Amino acid sequence: MANLLWLQGGACSGNTMSFLNAEEPSACDLVTDFGINILWHPSLGLELGENLQKLLNALTSGQMPLDIFVFEGTVVNAPKGTGEWNRFAGRPMKDWVSDLAKVASYTVAIGDCATWGGIPATAPNPSESQGLQFLKRQHGGYLGAAYKSKAGLPVINVPGCPAHPDWITQIVVAVATGRGADLSLDEFQRPKTFFTSFTQTGCTRNMHFAYKVSATEYGQRKGCLFYDLGCRGPMTHSPCNRILWNRQSSKTRAGMPCMGCTEPEFPFFDLAPGTVFKTQTLMGVPKDLPQGVDKSGYIKLTAAAKAASPAWAENDIFVV
Amino acid sequence: MASENGAVLKSIADMLANGLKTEVEPFPETDKEFAEILLQLRQLDPKDLESKLVIGGFLDHPYGPDRQRCLECMYYLVHRRWCDLPELSVPVDPDWWCRLWRI
Ligand code: SF4
Ligand code: SF4
Ligand code: SF4
Repeated sequence: MANLLWLQGGACSGNTMSFLNAEEPSACDLVTDFGINILWHPSLGLELGENLQKLLNALTSGQMPLDIFVFEGTVVNAPKGTGEWNRFAGRPMKDWVSDLAKVASYTVAIGDCATWGGIPATAPNPSESQGLQFLKRQHGGYLGAAYKSKAGLPVINVPGCPAHPDWITQIVVAVATGRGADLSLDEFQRPKTFFTSFTQTGCTRNMHFAYKVSATEYGQRKGCLFYDLGCRGPMTHSPCNRILWNRQSSKTRAGMPCMGCTEPEFPFFDLAPGTVFKTQTLMGVPKDLPQGVDKSGYIKLTAAAKAASPAWAENDIFVV
Repeated sequence: MASENGAVLKSIADMLANGLKTEVEPFPETDKEFAEILLQLRQLDPKDLESKLVIGGFLDHPYGPDRQRCLECMYYLVHRRWCDLPELSVPVDPDWWCRLWRI
């Protein structure tokens, strides 16, 4: 039996919603098939008031083991570093986070807010939000760069806005079944199994990307969303087109650009008007090119790809 | 359809060959300026070819030291010889250029 505690800081509950919709495995499978004991969760926990405090105190004092500490949302430090804006069970949430992270065998940050601060930590960051071990790209965050859980791992970051349901439950199962040490993490402490390939890997529009045929409106069933609509698929690490959403689709399959929500900079461009859903260019050339491609190579590639593009690339090939 | 496009293409080519002065400069350096040109185009009657050419800054030859042309532009559909930018939506030649060029 692995004890799991899930707390929520500055967040919209999106990752909770995502978790409750998981299918492979589902939140119920965690309990029935994988022996995970969900001690408390914002939508599932029964304890209130003093009873909840008792439970939390039993964990922080070591009286009850805490195997997996899951945190959703930012660590709120406002006002002036006190954390009083986000009180929980009688004290600032950030104080519970410090104490629980010390006794947890594994600490898992779910969603962009908990990993790197996400939307709440975007300038001017009025809630003085931080992620557990990062603030955007900067290592450290609330727990500090040196933090390791009792099992010897740093915070396991499962980013996304929200994270895909199955990324959450599969990581929780890996940890609960003693395979935590096998998890290999990238430089941002994301499990490599999910975050090595790109959103573009498996995108149905790859042929249009190759032949430089652009989608010019949302939902168009031909064309790639990179050239005009700001798709970040070629530079975002996520398995969104390998592990589909609701088992059947993804943003790019539905004709919506990837917004890069698994990367520390999300939301890009501080949400300034005209910067979202629009490819940012400088003198007509995209500012962010696919990872590993330079400007002159890109221009040469475009000329060649356009000249070679077949007639069908200009038609809607996903005919119903 | 094809012949109709051919006729429009020819009338554009004629206007440009006859020295129609178009707003080639300034090139929209960033998205903001690009969006401003699109806004002007959206206010036109879609059939008003001449104004599209003027505001779009059309040329019937490549432009600048990089010899930018419709052929490399992301809006250019090679087989239809067509500019697919919704605000323009006109037949074009691969060697033409306009200031909404993007790659
Ligand atoms: S739509 Fe996005 S993810 Fe898909 S091929 Fe184009 S750039 Fe890549
Ligand atoms: S497609 Fe992009 S923005 Fe959408 S969930 Fe995946 S990584 Fe995030
Ligand atoms: S936007 Fe301008 S350069 Fe691009 S295809 Fe259309 S007319 Fe040509």
